[in-house]
Amino acid sequence: MNNLTTKPLRIVYGDGVLGVHHRAVSYLFSYERGGLESLRFGGQEWLYRGPKPAFWRATTDNDRGNGFSRRSAQWLGADQFSTVTNFVVSVDQQTIGQPIAPQNNHYDDQQFATTVTIVFTYTTATEPQTTVDISYTVMPAGKLQVTAHYTGRKGLPELPVFGLRFVTPTPLQGYTYTGLSGETYPDRWRGGEVGTYDIAGMPITPYLVPQEMGMHIKTDSVVLKNLAQQGLRIEKLAQPFAFSVLPFSPLELEAATHLNELPPVRRGVVSILGAVRGVGGIDSWGADVQPAYRVSGEQNHQVQFLITPLAAERID
Amino acid sequence: MEASLAWLDDPTVFRVGKLPARSDHTVYESASAYRNGSQRLRQSLDGTWGFHYGETPQHRTPAFFEPKNQVARQNFTSIQVPGHIQLQGFGQIQYINTLYPWDGQVYRRPPMIDEDETSYPGIFSEASDNPVGEYTRTFEVPEYFTNRTVRLQFEGVEQAMYVWVNGHFVGYSEDSFSRAEFDITSYLVPGENFLAVAVYKLSTAAFLEDQDMFRFSGIFRSVWLEASALVDIQDVSFVPTVTDNLGKVTGTVAVQHAGLIDARLEAVVIGPDNQVVATTQRPLANDDVIFELSVPEVQVWSHQSPILYEMQLTIRAADGTELAFVPYRIGFRTLSVTAEQQIQLNGRRLFLNGVNRHEWHPSRGRALTVADMAEDVALFKKFHINAVRTSHYPNQMAWYFMMDEAGVYVMAETNLESHGTWQKMGAVEPSVNVPGSHKSWREVVLDRARSNYEQFKNHVSILFWSLGNESYAGENIAAMNALYKEHDKTRLTHYEGVFHNRQFNAVISDVESRMYASPADILAYLQQKPVKPYLNCEFMHSMGNSVGGFDEYMALYNQSPAYTGGFVWDYVDQALWQHDAITGEQVLSYGGDFNDRHSDYEFSGNGLFFADRQPKPALQEVAYYYEQFDN
Repeated sequence: MNNLTTKPLRIVYGDGVLGVHHRAVSYLFSYERGGLESLRFGGQEWLYRGPKPAFWRATTDNDRGNGFSRRSAQWLGADQFSTVTNFVVSVDQQTIGQPIAPQNNHYDDQQFATTVTIVFTYTTATEPQTTVDISYTVMPAGKLQVTAHYTGRKGLPELPVFGLRFVTPTPLQGYTYTGLSGETYPDRWRGGEVGTYDIAGMPITPYLVPQEMGMHIKTDSVVLKNLAQQGLRIEKLAQPFAFSVLPFSPLELEAATHLNELPPVRRGVVSILGAVRGVGGIDSWGADVQPAYRVSGEQNHQVQFLITPLAAERID
Repeated sequence: MEASLAWLDDPTVFRVGKLPARSDHTVYESASAYRNGSQRLRQSLDGTWGFHYGETPQHRTPAFFEPKNQVARQNFTSIQVPGHIQLQGFGQIQYINTLYPWDGQVYRRPPMIDEDETSYPGIFSEASDNPVGEYTRTFEVPEYFTNRTVRLQFEGVEQAMYVWVNGHFVGYSEDSFSRAEFDITSYLVPGENFLAVAVYKLSTAAFLEDQDMFRFSGIFRSVWLEASALVDIQDVSFVPTVTDNLGKVTGTVAVQHAGLIDARLEAVVIGPDNQVVATTQRPLANDDVIFELSVPEVQVWSHQSPILYEMQLTIRAADGTELAFVPYRIGFRTLSVTAEQQIQLNGRRLFLNGVNRHEWHPSRGRALTVADMAEDVALFKKFHINAVRTSHYPNQMAWYFMMDEAGVYVMAETNLESHGTWQKMGAVEPSVNVPGSHKSWREVVLDRARSNYEQFKNHVSILFWSLGNESYAGENIAAMNALYKEHDKTRLTHYEGVFHNRQFNAVISDVESRMYASPADILAYLQQKPVKPYLNCEFMHSMGNSVGGFDEYMALYNQSPAYTGGFVWDYVDQALWQHDAITGEQVLSYGGDFNDRHSDYEFSGNGLFFADRQPKPALQEVAYYYEQFDN
């Protein structure tokens, strides 16, 4: 039909869903659920649950001992219960507001663009409330640029983490990242060596009481590998990020008193973070994480990265 | 003599019929026996023993120790030695940290404080929470044991034991972690002999053994029968010193009845290249035989270069016959403190890149095998750990020999912790503290210090004698300090508890030791013209996902010459494999998982390694820094 267009992205202005389709990859953004709902290419769906703001990490023994989890308990609720309260769509960098009915009645199935941006605003389940803007921009080559911005607000407690978290439909086969060896945190990374590391599966660290684990800070890129041999490359924009790939959510870890209480491994839980609290260690019964490694709730935080789908033959 | 159950209640009774503590040397019949690996003088009594578990002292079996009284033992089953009773299906496994294990179950206060000599009869001997394990076995005495002194050796029995041989009461012993020896020569008969041991889980020793650990009882280390050589070398003491490049070793050898024999002592030092580097002879006397040997161009011992020399002692009769032979590997080093309170080893700054180590295995508990210990030595090496504190008790004897060979600096801790008598729910409240300054609690703690010193005095790896852990401070701990200082000029004393009672600062501990001090607090001490070298007996609490900020402690090395580093808490999680019926998996379990109450739950797991020796991620950071600082 409109074969003359040079714009690579086809937009479907649905009544509840904005579809952005590239030759090789499709993105569905749900207005109701709030956020990126589907990322599909090569016949494979990558999202069981799409990205949401991540505030919580499973309580560490030190967090428990120094009262951090009590002081910052609001972020556990915010991690679970924050909802989308607004969204705005831009096409080729022009804001078009919210293209829902009846406004979308004038579109057809031949809507094309060079870039499409949708920004979802989350309002936190905290007191006081604040907002997180998650901006998705589908780029001409089908890549997805993601920015999550937390607006600090006076009176909010320190954050365990800030960033985005999504869940894959099946366990991941592994991941390859470029960053520091081992597990690293802002106050425990100097022993890490810079390099590119292949990790098989989604290993967990068998702490006696399951807790926050598996963080990799100062990361330049990570390629997630699914069971169909596809990859999803996540690479830094401007600043390195922190990430973890685990078979369990923070809440699942939080609820277990032993490893054998964790559920069977069904999916992958991927966290891409711009701010991470240190783990501390002066003692486990009161000493806080040193000031430089605390994440203020009163200041802004951000994480920004680029997602590139990698077809099976391109994974290496 | 008759055994008395009342000894369990009396802190002034802790050794009856027990031989004085002595060095951990091994005697051979001859040098060639040693070279051929032939050791006929020692016989293991490990293995399967008869056993009966009594819930309380009143459930004990009267006359179970009578050899022919099979009826008395009709309900006996079996147990493995060495091993904890509670890990073999009897009684309650319990993990608890600072409170006493009976808290909320049984009301107790330490007896005989405030000079009251009679308080609380039955506090342990009639207690509902004091199970007894009754052990029996037979053994054959080889014919060549005749005319030799035969000792029965227990390397570790928790917590109070009564021993009978062939129905004769032999002795009573407390101090779970030091070797107990009894001279049973006069009780032995040709052929089969019958050994019986009653082990109580609790006694007044419980007040002194409140370490942060799983609470067990039983014969958990090896048992030996040891015959003397034709003359009995009871104790050896080697004091090596270094001045410039000249090494000297002063030897003191205690030989029983030596004056009755026309014989001589030959002392030889074998160098690292297997060459004889010094030799001397002395006639045997009735007293200690003392000699001094010089080793020119001596090579000093250190972490990077753990060079050992071998002392060889031979007792030779006038006709040249070898009567006894003792090999013992020694090392030469100096340990000093500079005017600016820097500890120096061989004239160079000492960096303690250490760990606290409980003896622990996820199946065997504190009953480690030599292979278990060798694995730990290899892991120390791999992760650049150069020092260990034997928290909080004397370890198995083999461990100290391994530390000499591996070049690991040892803080050798006395078996003492009375945490529950002075710190309660975090607050310092020492109103019923023992040992404190109480007369009735003095000899028992001095005995523990003496045992630790005498047993391990020849190990080059030991740089510090630690008076114990978390027991507050008083005159009795000051007396322990004095005992170590009186016997040993080549090492430093260590004790942290004086932090909570500074009036004893001048008479307890050669070092300013703290636990879990923040880097800022440490720096504040170091910047105020320190009067003692500083070290962390415990720092960086590696519980779960921890060890953040390690770099700030390492930076202190460059901020003050008096900072010596210290010992991370701790080496390995205390956790036990437990079968999960739901998943069918083996799961590492911690306090409370055994329905033990009161418990301190997951606080049992603070290791840099998981209980199965899998490294925790934090080790990457520790190894990175530990590798950078080495003297």
